[in-house]
Amino acid sequence: MWDFIKERHQQILYDAFQHAYLVVLAVAVATVIAVLLAALVTKLRLTGLANTLSAIGLTIPGFALVGLLMPATGIGATTAFICVCFYAVLPILRNAVVGLQGVDATLLESARGMGMSELSVLVRVRLPLAWPVILAGIRTSTQMSMGIAAIAAYVIGPGLGSYIFTGLSQIGGKNALNYALVGTLGVVILALILDLALLLVGRVTTSKGIRV
Amino acid sequence: MTTTHDPIPAASRPGLSGEPDGNPAVRRSRLRLPAGESAAMLLVLPVLVVLLFLGFVWWRQTADLDSIEQSALAWPALRAQFVEHIKLTVVASLIVVAIAVPLGVLLTRGRARVVAPIVVGIANAGQAAPAIGLIVLLAIWLGFTFWTAILGLVVYGLLPVLRNTITGLQGVDPTLVEAGRGIGMSAGSVLLRIELPLALPVIMAGVRTALVLVVGTAALVSFIGAGGLGDTLVSGINLFRFSVMVAASLLIAMLALLVEWAGRVLELALRPKGI
Repeated sequence: MWDFIKERHQQILYDAFQHAYLVVLAVAVATVIAVLLAALVTKLRLTGLANTLSAIGLTIPGFALVGLLMPATGIGATTAFICVCFYAVLPILRNAVVGLQGVDATLLESARGMGMSELSVLVRVRLPLAWPVILAGIRTSTQMSMGIAAIAAYVIGPGLGSYIFTGLSQIGGKNALNYALVGTLGVVILALILDLALLLVGRVTTSKGIRV
Repeated sequence: MTTTHDPIPAASRPGLSGEPDGNPAVRRSRLRLPAGESAAMLLVLPVLVVLLFLGFVWWRQTADLDSIEQSALAWPALRAQFVEHIKLTVVASLIVVAIAVPLGVLLTRGRARVVAPIVVGIANAGQAAPAIGLIVLLAIWLGFTFWTAILGLVVYGLLPVLRNTITGLQGVDPTLVEAGRGIGMSAGSVLLRIELPLALPVIMAGVRTALVLVVGTAALVSFIGAGGLGDTLVSGINLFRFSVMVAASLLIAMLALLVEWAGRVLELALRPKGI
C-alpha cells in the first residue's frame, strides 16, 4: 500500500485535486443557482412546489442520472459536472427556502421602513440572516457531491472515482485492493477536509450579529 | 449519494423537540413544511411513476430497436432484474431496521447515553465514504455474492435509521416517561408502550431515507455481479446504446420514486393515532 502510494503520489494528488475541483466548482455554481431560485420561489410563493420537486430530485439515484445525461452530454467531465451540480442544488435550495422564510417579518418591515428597496432587503437583511441555514445545505451538498463525483468516474469523469473502478476491473490482481482503497479513502479524506473548510468559511462569513 | 438525503433534521418534525435550535422563527417554518409537502408527494409520486411507466411501455413496443437493444431490453430480463432489485432493497432495509433500532434504543439507555454522540459521529464520517468504493472494497474482501451486496447496502442505510431512532427517543418528553413509571409500568413497557410509539414518526422518517438510499445504491451492485436494474444500465453504457441507457435509468428512477412513495405510505400507516 505504502509503495503503491509512493510510486504514484503525483498522479494521486492530481486526481484528488481534480475531484475536489469538480466538487467545489459544482457546489459553487449550485449555490448561486439555488439561492437565486430560493429568492424567486419565496417571492412567488411556490415553496411547496420547490420542495416537492427537490424531494423528487433527491430520490433519483445518481447512477441513473448519469445514464440519463449521457446521450445529451457524452462521456467525460461535462456529464460529471452537470450530474454533481444537479444534486448539489437540491439541499441548498431546500435550506435556502427555509432560511429565507424564517427571517422575522418585523425585521423585514423595519428594513422597508428605513427605505430599503426590495433588492437591498434581500441582499442586506434576508440573505445574511439565512446564511447559516444555507451554509448547512452547502455542507450537505458537498458531502453528497463527493460520492456522486466518484460514480460519475464510470463515464470518464475526473477524480478519484477512477481508482475505484480500476480496482474493480483488476480484481484478482495485486493492486486491486490498493486502487480501491486509495480511491475510497481519498474521497473520505477530501470530504473531511472540505467539510472543515466550510466550517471555517461559516465562521468568517456569518454576520457578526447572529454569530453564536 | 453520500450523506443523508434529508437536509431538514427529522428532529424538527411535529410533536417532538429534538435539537435545541437557535432561531425560533426558523424552527416554526420548518415545522410547517412537511405536512403540505408530504401530501403533495403522496399524490404526485404514483401519478408520475404510472405516467413514466406507460410512456416506457409505449416506447418499448413501438420503437425501432436493433437486435442488441432488443435483447438488452427484453421484458423477461427486465422483470428478473426488477425482482432482484426489490429483493436487494427489501432484505437490506429489513436488516437495517433490525440492527439500527435496537442499537438506537441501547444507546439511549443509562450510561450508554454518553457514547451515543460518538457512535453517530463515527457513522457520520463513515457516510462520507463513496458507496461505490465501499461496495468494491467489500467485494475484494468477500467475493462477488448477493450477501456482499447486502452487507454494503446495510452499512450504507444504517446511519439514517440509527440517528433518527436516537433523536426520536431523546425527543420524548421525560415527564411522560416518568408518568409511565409512576403508574407502575416497568422500564420495558415504558419503552414499548410510550417511548417507541412517540418516537415512531421520527424513526420512520429515517427508515424512508434509508429505503431511498438503499434502492439507489442497489443500482451500483451490478458492478459486483449482484444483479438488479443496474445490469441493464451498465450494459447500456458499455455498449454505448443511448436507448438502453436512458430506458434503464428511467426504470431505476421510477423504482426509486415508487420506493419513496411506499416509504411515505408506510410512514403514514404506522403513525400512532395519538400524534
